[in-house]
Amino acid sequence: MAYIFGIPLLILLAIFQSTLLGTFQFLNGRPDLILLAVIGWGLAGGGEETMVWGLVGGLLLDMLSGIPIGTTSIALILIGTLVSLYEGRIWEANFLMPLGITLAGSLLFHLMSLVIIMLMGREIDWAYAFSRVILPSTFINLLLALPTAQALKGLRNRLYPPEVEI
Amino acid sequence: MRRVSPRVLVVSILLMIALGVLILNLSGFLQPVQTILARPIITAQSWLALRFSALRDVLASPRDMATLRSEVSRLEAENALLQQEIIALREQTAEVEKLAALLNYARGQPQSSYLATNVIGRDVSPFIRSILIGVGSDGGISKGMPVVTSRGLIGRVVEVFATYSRVQLITDPEIVVNILFQESRTEGVLTAQLNGELVVDLIDLSAELSQGELVLTSGLGGKYPADIPVGRILSIHHRDYDLFQQATIQSSVEFDQLDIVLVITNFRPLIFEQPSP
Repeated sequence: MAYIFGIPLLILLAIFQSTLLGTFQFLNGRPDLILLAVIGWGLAGGGEETMVWGLVGGLLLDMLSGIPIGTTSIALILIGTLVSLYEGRIWEANFLMPLGITLAGSLLFHLMSLVIIMLMGREIDWAYAFSRVILPSTFINLLLALPTAQALKGLRNRLYPPEVEI
Repeated sequence: MRRVSPRVLVVSILLMIALGVLILNLSGFLQPVQTILARPIITAQSWLALRFSALRDVLASPRDMATLRSEVSRLEAENALLQQEIIALREQTAEVEKLAALLNYARGQPQSSYLATNVIGRDVSPFIRSILIGVGSDGGISKGMPVVTSRGLIGRVVEVFATYSRVQLITDPEIVVNILFQESRTEGVLTAQLNGELVVDLIDLSAELSQGELVLTSGLGGKYPADIPVGRILSIHHRDYDLFQQATIQSSVEFDQLDIVLVITNFRPLIFEQPSP
């Protein structure tokens, strides 16, 4: 069930990322919708599904980019794995935990992208990449982290209603 | 024997799939699959891009956009053609003055033919400066074709699929363009800095450049046709102890506002084969 809703959602997010967010920028950054979805689904208790979302989401992003297909998937699968380690305990543990996870996930996602681009033989200006791309995007991801996690938690509760003992 | 946890198993399988896809992609076997898989996504993206573009235009100016769009598209192509003719005429005049002694000299500027198309998306990676356009090999696009707007050069086609293509912008550091300064008749090599700034290097130290001077493609190297506007000189960096001078260029194109672009379809770029060891 998670894939019936998840895959079209990821396709939609990838299209939005390429079409709308390519034009609109806020403080030079733009949110990483697929990354937010993967983290959000993981936080909502997606378990192994989170990693599959990472694989599919990464493939979709790479199809709309000049990066070799498969590379972003590796980054998102690893991020999905990290998030799923905390599944179910996040909301109970600390309200700020999703922000911490999003911060770590965003930094990891962009750093892995940069390493991949470097391996492709491109020059990287690390100072520019950090100040003008990674930090603004991470900040926007943090702003959207809680609403995204809440929305995906709501979706998950609809798909898999929690069992109630009577 | 210790049992492998299901999570480790799932992660390993997924990572292997991703690596497999990556290897297939790098070896070029994935293109047919990508073409098929991308078709519905690109259709949806083109639809959304058009609506989004129309919405943006409606918000920007309350006019009948549907009719205007097709008219704009036609006029952009016509305008680009006229711009090209003006520049070609200026070039010819300059050359006639300079090479008056050389009879029977003709540059032979073939008339460019353009294909107008919509920009349907931008590279999702913030570190790669490229755009997706809504025509591919089905529409007669091939790799290496230069892409312009009525204002000037924007880049060239680097990847072609059946229904869409990827255009690498001149603001991407991977792209190198041989240019010519229109007034001083000096040549140079344009590259983008990592922050997207356009810089011309390898300019003869004795050349007298002036701020605001028009920069055109020189046609050297065979990757771009000659005389396409690239931008104007913003600042000049001239130091007597350097071997060459440099110039920062203000592009004539607003890369953030690209909507419709023109692909020069009758230009065949020269492809140099790597010498065998």
